[in-house]
Amino acid sequence: MKLSLETKAENTWCLGCGDFGILTALKEAVTQLVEEGYKKEEFVLVSGIGCHGKIYDYVDLNGFYSIHGRVLPTALGIRMANPDLKVLGFAGDGDTYAEGISHFIHAARYNLDVTFVVHNNQVFALTTGQATPTTQKGFKGKSTPEGKWDEPLNPILLALSAGATFVARGYAYDVKHLTWLMKEGVKHKGFAFIDVIQPCVTFHNITPYVRERIYKLEDTDHDPSNLEAAMEKAREWNYDMDPNAKIPIGIFYRAKKETIEEGFGRKVPFYRMEKLPKPWEEVIEEKRIV
Amino acid sequence: MFSSPSVRRSVLIGGQAGQGVAKAAELLGKMFVRLGYYVFNYRDYPSLIRGGHNFNVITFSDERIFSHDEDPPIVVALDKRTVDTHKAEFYITGSFYTPDRGIQINTNEALKQGIPPVSQNVILLGALAKYLGIPKSIGKEVVGELGPLNVKAFEFGYDRSVDGERAGRIPRKGLYFLTGNEAIALGALAWGIDMYIAYPMTPSTPVLHFLAKRKEVVTLQLENEIAVVNAALGASYAGANVMVGTSGGGFALMNEALSLQGMSEVPLVVYLAQRMGPSTGVPTYTSQGDMLYALHAGHGEFPRVVVAPGDPAEAFRMTMEAFYLAYRYRVLSIILGDKHLGESHYTMLKEEFRPLVRPERFYVFPKDGYKSYEDTPDGVSPMAVPGSIPFTVRATSYEHDEYGITTEEAHEIEKMVEKRLRKAETVEQAVSSLKPLDVYGEGEKVILSWGSTKGAILDALKGLKDWKFVKINYLKPFPRREVMNVLEDAKRIVIVENTSTGQIGKLLAMETGIITEDKILRYDARPFTPEYIRRRLV
Ligand SMILES: Cc1ncc(C[n+]2csc(CCOP(=O)(O)OP(=O)(O)O)c2C)c(N)n1
Ligand code: SF4
Ligand SMILES: [Mg+2]
Repeated sequence: MKLSLETKAENTWCLGCGDFGILTALKEAVTQLVEEGYKKEEFVLVSGIGCHGKIYDYVDLNGFYSIHGRVLPTALGIRMANPDLKVLGFAGDGDTYAEGISHFIHAARYNLDVTFVVHNNQVFALTTGQATPTTQKGFKGKSTPEGKWDEPLNPILLALSAGATFVARGYAYDVKHLTWLMKEGVKHKGFAFIDVIQPCVTFHNITPYVRERIYKLEDTDHDPSNLEAAMEKAREWNYDMDPNAKIPIGIFYRAKKETIEEGFGRKVPFYRMEKLPKPWEEVIEEKRIV
Repeated sequence: MFSSPSVRRSVLIGGQAGQGVAKAAELLGKMFVRLGYYVFNYRDYPSLIRGGHNFNVITFSDERIFSHDEDPPIVVALDKRTVDTHKAEFYITGSFYTPDRGIQINTNEALKQGIPPVSQNVILLGALAKYLGIPKSIGKEVVGELGPLNVKAFEFGYDRSVDGERAGRIPRKGLYFLTGNEAIALGALAWGIDMYIAYPMTPSTPVLHFLAKRKEVVTLQLENEIAVVNAALGASYAGANVMVGTSGGGFALMNEALSLQGMSEVPLVVYLAQRMGPSTGVPTYTSQGDMLYALHAGHGEFPRVVVAPGDPAEAFRMTMEAFYLAYRYRVLSIILGDKHLGESHYTMLKEEFRPLVRPERFYVFPKDGYKSYEDTPDGVSPMAVPGSIPFTVRATSYEHDEYGITTEEAHEIEKMVEKRLRKAETVEQAVSSLKPLDVYGEGEKVILSWGSTKGAILDALKGLKDWKFVKINYLKPFPRREVMNVLEDAKRIVIVENTSTGQIGKLLAMETGIITEDKILRYDARPFTPEYIRRRLV
């Protein structure tokens, strides 16, 4: 029986939006993983708030549609409660690099064992087009009519320095490659971060710029176990619109490290432990003096 | 001196932070409980790590007591400032100062015997124990928890002290001595808590420390309170029984997620330990100023439970109730405590802890389909854990249909709003069979209060005629009918509250239409004492 991941929800993304590519890659990755032996009901999708978040409605998987910026702590709670679950986070760039940036750094540091996909369209799309931390300098949005004044953040560099053990970049229009990245992310033990260049056709369409400069790290001799090399590759594109930049996609870095779940010895989901607490009389006994 | 056993007596132990005042006070409390006395141990300390001035007041009596006294006649001073700050009839000091009334122990000599300066607290505790007539053997047993060197220190002080009073033994068993924070942690353990998640903030931090030591629970300290509460919701969604703990500032950071609880209906238990605000305020001192805030925190309309324990036994029971209600009905439960309840030691009896609910798990494992937000008659949708069934389990911050898919359809929205309203009614009914309020004493005049004022009010009541005390245990759902009945022919209704505005009066007016302007308020960040209440009542 072919796995069905469809829902009845009406899709309201703009025609041509990069989010479609991410959705297709997700469905494809889960379908392939299920064929490889994973169980559909083991997957949990956690989304943030923004255009990207609607992915929650469009795929028939367990899901937590959380609040703006809080995908990662929600995912952390899920993993600590039930380490059997494979958690995939889908967040926006506004979500992750503005509202929730502290969680991003800490999740990388904890090496939380989730796959974390950022729909990086370099814009607050659902709120109709304001600049985010990854928007290029000079961007004229509704809240920056004179042009954004600050330089963009490079999330790949940030993830590398925060200790993420799987750092990758995908391109929403290269579904096959993104599918592969998601599967590698799920199989990776630890924090698997995938920043996805997701053109927003309505508010931030950089497709022509990207198409001319993109290349795959897998086609080079890049060694993903080398942190210094990864940093160097990460610096090739700073999310600005530098005409001379090259845009690498693929896996920048991959390493082995203990996860927070392992650190806390989490193995069995709580709901299955059926541990009965001691009777109340015994619980208070330690405070009895006479 | 203790010949009349019902005499209520108090001792103050004071010194700088780091000198072991709190420990000495706790040990003294335990000694008296060992002898069969009822003890209350109040802790007063500023927000600093070394220096300053802090003190404990240990009050003990042959009768039940739940509060401390102002200006105890006996003062154990670990530094000169304590002597200067607290007027007393009798001082016990170390080498640093010779009091004109009382005794001085030569702590310098103790140094020569290998007793370190940090044990000055235990030396003077020994001197105090002797003076109060506590048998040396009992004192040594209690101090034993600090190791042999401290037992030596205790004996050193004991042997150099004088006879003062005679604490007799009272044949009494089944006495428990603990703080509200410990009781909340124990209540959570008695429920079978899986995870406790927190970011340190006085006065809730002792719960974090207490549970971190326990193997039965996974205790997590995360990067901030926003992470804490969202992680808790994630964990709860995935099948963990979880609690978070914080104080006002951290609670404020959690607000957006409280509202997420309301929409997602993922069970959540929050311990809010109040301290004096606004803002950083007076971090280590008490207040009840967050009550109306706790009742309303979070945008939008959604059901919630707010319980307000008044002593550790209630804190234990109500923590279990908070879990029960949160997980049975998929609501937000807030345990509203404060510094005074959290950090004071009370003497409690076993029966007072007896829970009204039994630990249970309410997850369902349906075989033929599942709706995460099934529209049931009582408004409560059965909860399944993702991964435990072959169906999709959803939680969402958006308005949604029964499956948890986003909706903006008018009739779908209405349906879900009404489902949550029915759930609120269901919870209200469930709470009416717990103990939403207590009435103590008899009389035509009423003291109305809630939370940690309970102790001082109960003790004040003993000296008052024609007064009863109505204590609200459930601020939400508010026991409207019961409160109206008991207040029906009250001649006076006086509010007692650790606030400057009398929030319970506003809540009473809102819930019942009864208005009273009769208020005894205290807002110097100190808890009430029985004297304080009696003084203000006349
Ligand atoms: C706490 C909070 N602040 C603001 C908003 C309003 N808001 C909704 S979506 C959004 C921007 C989302 O941008 P991004 O995360 O990049 O997602 P995109 O729409 O681009 O996919 C904002 C600010 C919100 N929902 N919650
Ligand atoms: S506004 Fe942009 S991000 Fe949102 S759906 Fe349209 S194209 Fe996609
Ligand atoms: Mg965006």
